[in-house]
Amino acid sequence: MATFRLQGSKVLAVDMTGDTVKAKNGSMVAYDGQMAFKKMTGGGEGLRGMVTRRLTGEQMTVMEVKGQGTCWFADRASEISLVHLRGETLYVESSNLLCTDAGLRTGTTFTGLRGASQGNGLFTTTVEGSGQAAIMSDGPAVVLRVTPQYPLSVDPGAYIAHQGDLRQDFQSGVTFRTFLGEGGGEAFQIRFEGDGLVYVQPSERNTVGGDV
Amino acid sequence: MPFREVNSRVVEAVIAPGQKMFSQRGAMLAYRGEVSFTPNVQGGQGGVMSMIGRRVANEATPLMTVEGNGTVMFGHGGHHIQVIQLSGDTLYVEADRLLAFDGTLTQGTMFMGSQGGVMGMVRGQVTGQGLFTTTLKGHGAVAVMAHGGVIELPVTPGRAVHVDPQAYVAHHGDVRNKLSTALGWRDMVGRGSGEAFQLELSGSGAVYVQASEEKL
Repeated sequence: MATFRLQGSKVLAVDMTGDTVKAKNGSMVAYDGQMAFKKMTGGGEGLRGMVTRRLTGEQMTVMEVKGQGTCWFADRASEISLVHLRGETLYVESSNLLCTDAGLRTGTTFTGLRGASQGNGLFTTTVEGSGQAAIMSDGPAVVLRVTPQYPLSVDPGAYIAHQGDLRQDFQSGVTFRTFLGEGGGEAFQIRFEGDGLVYVQPSERNTVGGDV
Repeated sequence: MPFREVNSRVVEAVIAPGQKMFSQRGAMLAYRGEVSFTPNVQGGQGGVMSMIGRRVANEATPLMTVEGNGTVMFGHGGHHIQVIQLSGDTLYVEADRLLAFDGTLTQGTMFMGSQGGVMGMVRGQVTGQGLFTTTLKGHGAVAVMAHGGVIELPVTPGRAVHVDPQAYVAHHGDVRNKLSTALGWRDMVGRGSGEAFQLELSGSGAVYVQASEEKL
């Protein structure tokens, strides 16, 4: 299986011995040995995957990298975190997904109101199976543990991914003060309950909720 | 004179009397002591021929001479800075990535077409880096800029390194570089993986690669 390691916090090195990984199109910065790059039509997962991605707006342009040697990936100096999956599902925005083991399945899922408040649409990407994935964030990501006793609320603009057995709920603290322009600037949150991990970045995307 | 890294985006250099250093114009952030900054009208060292060479080669990033007695902090555009120590070998770097370097280093330009023939010339067009690159040779330190952090990858005989032209920062040592293509019909019809062109570096030395595919 391909080995993922971080070289610094912004470059992902993948050691490969004839195996394959899926990576964001154009994210290779260097390689040694023998590598072949192939764009996966419509982002992989066959025709059905392509059609759902088109419909849901979770477009990914993914390439398949197969080879022998080391391949280095980076994207616009984003910070990279490694995620180990053991038969679980990782939920991540397609724009934050850098690279996955080829053995992991990717799909799309409905997120409800949360997605709309994030400005990322109503759907998110899922990565399922056993293996490694690399996700990107604006600034070093913080991994927060959620247990049944300790639920967590996250700013939609700072959320990047989550894994485990989590329920997510959209919370709004909109009061009449918000409408008077006296809001705290934190009118919307995503609340996670259950057992799992949430990845949060130290920066906020522009969201609809950020202004209220 | 070595650079002291203040943080990932600022370096500090000690200027002693009788020594000088070159830096990109406007890259000084602060200084202590008696230090003077003079624009380099001659366009670097190496006399008139070298000046003309640089003008023609479009590697004429405005430099200034830094002289005096004190310490100077350099930084530019919030870019990450990588300090490279040269011990008699040659560093190849694009002029606009040069932040500051020791005055004892010999500066020159190299025609990329002389390495790799026609592909060398195509390289400049594809990478948007032009046909010429700046060379620095001798013993001393060089501070180069990059978007995001920089990793150093060793190039050893029999283990060539391929680099995305946009992520390439600089290289040193006895290294040959040529443009390699993985152009298939898929790239022609716009279905490429986005990795159609690479710089192939072979020989022995090291190449510096930035964690981004954005130009400075």
